[in-house]
Amino acid sequence: MFRSFVDYLRLCAAYLRINMNAQLEYRGAFYSQVAAMFINDGAWVAFWLLFFNRFPVLHGWSLKDVMCLWAVTTAGFGIAYGVMGNAHRRLASAIAQGELDLWMLHPRAVLPHFLLGSTIPSAWGDAAFGFVIYFGFVKPSFQQALMFVVLSIVVAVVFVGFGVMTGSLSFYLGNASTLSDQWRDISITFATYPPTLFDGKVKLLLFTVIPAGFISYLPVESLRSVSIADLLIAIAGALGVLAAGVGMFYFGLRRYESGNLISMRE
Amino acid sequence: MTIMKSANRYLWIGYTAARSNLAYGGEVIYRCSFLTIILYIFLRLWNVVYAATGSDRVGGLTLPQMVWYLVVTEAIYLSAPRVASEVDEDVRTGRLAVHLIRPLSYVGGHLSRAMGDRVVRFAINLTVGAVLAMILVGPIPISAAGIVMFFATLPAAFLLDFLGMFLIGLCAFWLESTSGLALLYTRTVMMFGGMFLPLAIYPAVLQPILKVLPFASMLSAPGVMFVNPSFLLLKESIVIQGAAVTVFLLVVAIVQFLAMRRLFSNGG
Repeated sequence: MFRSFVDYLRLCAAYLRINMNAQLEYRGAFYSQVAAMFINDGAWVAFWLLFFNRFPVLHGWSLKDVMCLWAVTTAGFGIAYGVMGNAHRRLASAIAQGELDLWMLHPRAVLPHFLLGSTIPSAWGDAAFGFVIYFGFVKPSFQQALMFVVLSIVVAVVFVGFGVMTGSLSFYLGNASTLSDQWRDISITFATYPPTLFDGKVKLLLFTVIPAGFISYLPVESLRSVSIADLLIAIAGALGVLAAGVGMFYFGLRRYESGNLISMRE
Repeated sequence: MTIMKSANRYLWIGYTAARSNLAYGGEVIYRCSFLTIILYIFLRLWNVVYAATGSDRVGGLTLPQMVWYLVVTEAIYLSAPRVASEVDEDVRTGRLAVHLIRPLSYVGGHLSRAMGDRVVRFAINLTVGAVLAMILVGPIPISAAGIVMFFATLPAAFLLDFLGMFLIGLCAFWLESTSGLALLYTRTVMMFGGMFLPLAIYPAVLQPILKVLPFASMLSAPGVMFVNPSFLLLKESIVIQGAAVTVFLLVVAIVQFLAMRRLFSNGG
């Protein structure tokens, strides 16, 4: 099992190299998208800077806490969709249009091949932004810095798992691209606002149907408390979301029927 | 007669765009659900802020006025059509050649389509937002004169936004991709236009600068005009919008002229 895991890591590295080489053929476009996303994230941080300049505390949360929330969310988002670009907005339409046929011809499991098949250029801007904001603005201790690196990967796992979950709806509902995108965007929106704004019932929702809790709230609490227990809970939550997503995908794959559509690798 | 015929063509393009917009129910539902989420989150945010300050007014607005302000600015922002990416695609795919041989102005055709799209989207967003605001915070005092002044600021606001996005799209003649630039433009409008925070909440040193920039005319001016209309604000808005539209039109004309000089037609 360990050897299998190492093999999949090597597959991941190979796909990453291929995808980055493809993107860097158009360097101007790639770097402009990275820079634009970096500045886009900066605009949201600027909003919070203006807000906290006027209203210094928000139910116990300060500007530093919100920066931390944005750092972990953007870093996780960037790593997830920079490495596994097809987990973002592609799976639902690929299932509905029969594009999975191509990926099923690859050796071994179909899901890793599909997810690793592309990279989202702007996601690298998000990843860079997350790390720059955390290390430049929050100025963490050594333990917090280590925990942040681990948590950014944990959050990436949540994003990938959730992306697979929402995309797999197409197995059950037909072309669920719009619903899938909506569900994911709503989760990201909730994840970028302090959890202290929401009351008990909504918070329950944010740890179940809309997993914003696993994307940002748990990781931020782990960083605030520097607690290994909180970190382990965040890891368990992320693995739970991933397992649910993967389970939905492979269960839905049994219902998948190949069409006559001729498709090509993009 | 010729002018009327010409105007009819553009009106028909706008009407067709408006009708086709209503065919995409999924997109309408998506925008409405996103608007609902944003309004809910910001209601929670402003509830906390108003309770913490202990004041019934923040930035000169009460809590209901703040939520209605957000309804208007979100309705405007979320109704923006994808002008920049359409122009970008026209240039990149060569579809521009098909547009140029038509007896229509290229920018005029895009403007008609964009306005047709925008009017429908804005109407839907405003209706849904108004229903939500009524449920969440109830009504605010509105006068007939206030409504007229609010609608008077909208055409120039939409035109300014269109010209900005069209300029971004024309950059496809020089850049490999305009998606980054378009994203930067929308964020600039969001931040400097006062989408989430009324300009009165910004630092005092920034407010005079932001008020004269065109972005405030796109979002903040209509928003404030809806919740707290005043004739003085209307006069200021008309002057700033008029000046901004003139400058933008001039820049679009120059950039389009320079862009068309880079256009080459190959036989085949």
